[in-house]
Amino acid sequence: MARDLAIDLGTANTLVYMKGRGIVLNEPSVIALNRQTGEVLATGREAWQMIGRTPGYIVAVRPLRGGAITDFEITERMIRLLLQRVGVSRFTRPKVVICVPSAITEVERRAVTDAARRAGAADAQLIEQPMAAAIGADLPIDEPVGNMVIDIGGGTSETAVISLGGVVALEAVRVGSFDIDAAIQAYVRREHGIAIGERTAEEVKMAIGSAAPTDDESQAEVRGRDLMTGLPKTVVLTPEEIRFAIEDVVSSIIASVVRCLAKAPPELAQDFLVRGMYLVGGGGLLRGLAPRIERETQVPVKMSNMPLEAVVMGAGHCIEHYDALKTMFMGARRP
Amino acid sequence: MIWILVAVVVIALAVLVIVARKPRQEPGVASFRRHIDALSPEARREVMDRVRPPDSNQQEGQGN
Ligand SMILES: Nc1ncnc2c1ncn2[C@@H]1O[C@H](COP(=O)(O)OP(=O)(O)OP(=O)(O)O)[C@@H](O)[C@H]1O
Ligand SMILES: [Mg+2]
Repeated sequence: MARDLAIDLGTANTLVYMKGRGIVLNEPSVIALNRQTGEVLATGREAWQMIGRTPGYIVAVRPLRGGAITDFEITERMIRLLLQRVGVSRFTRPKVVICVPSAITEVERRAVTDAARRAGAADAQLIEQPMAAAIGADLPIDEPVGNMVIDIGGGTSETAVISLGGVVALEAVRVGSFDIDAAIQAYVRREHGIAIGERTAEEVKMAIGSAAPTDDESQAEVRGRDLMTGLPKTVVLTPEEIRFAIEDVVSSIIASVVRCLAKAPPELAQDFLVRGMYLVGGGGLLRGLAPRIERETQVPVKMSNMPLEAVVMGAGHCIEHYDALKTMFMGARRP
Repeated sequence: MIWILVAVVVIALAVLVIVARKPRQEPGVASFRRHIDALSPEARREVMDRVRPPDSNQQEGQGN
């Protein structure tokens, strides 16, 4: 008998929680394929290391990029490999709960559940990311109070108000931390005339990126290819210019938080002032982001304890209490 | 004879009244209660303890 599983199929990272065990897998959502034969060559960390460094016949992709399922076939293969790696076979058929962006379409939803069933799941259910995040961030969502959770991932930013075990207001945009990387890439290209890869841009973001000025600011050296000469070149980037480069993305994420606040019923809105809103997801770790959201919304922002694991922990809780929490699954509420 | 019939009717009525008065819980109430109870902090403790590293019970994220 296989143990039931909860999967956070993120655009950037995939995490798997096994019932009764805990998190058994945590790696980048990347798959490397042979362009000619279509064979899978690597997944996870190994495939991630190949991004931007592959010879012509290999392609390393993030199939979920943008918070949408861009390639159904590759997504299905990724789910199949994932299940195989945690021990699912034709003879062990576990129940699976998968977290997906709340904005995914009906077609995408069916694609994910069908893929999981074909890959060996006895039953596959979906749960919205912000709901899972709120459970995982340990918010008192069993009470009739306004709990607000902001999940900023690689490809999506979702803000939700949850009370009494259900979503009261939700605002999701397909903008996330990857878009910050892309903005840095575009800026460096435009202003410094050098091309840098997406992994380098991500490193710059983590090293000196910020949404508002902070105390400990330093510059960063970045190496890329000079667009004029084609030769390798190093430039120095300042935190101010990176802030400027990513401003559009940051402000569109904050705007979606504001829209969600505006959708919340007034009774719950007053709870936020006291309880604050909780930030989860890797994108929420951007320096200065929490204080900036706090300043622009006048609502306290708190970082959750385990921002990268909160979603899978929430889904894990749903797999531990499968029967009692059935009503939270996406199909159950919106048939 | 008539008394037996009357007794049967009285007993049947009494049984009916008892059955009708017994507060039958709505299925909605029961499943909602179960749903909410399963989301309580105590119910969630299990998963939290399983995932959380031993000494980071409080404060701040772990970064990356
Ligand atoms: N310290 C940090 N500062 C800034 N960004 C960070 C930091 N750590 C991680 N990130 C970014 O967070 C993103 C990954 O976050 P997360 O794992 O929550 O995404 P995901 O759940 O896979 O995506 P989604 O929820 O959109 O499907 C990456 O884009 C990564 O660059
Ligand atoms: Mg996520």
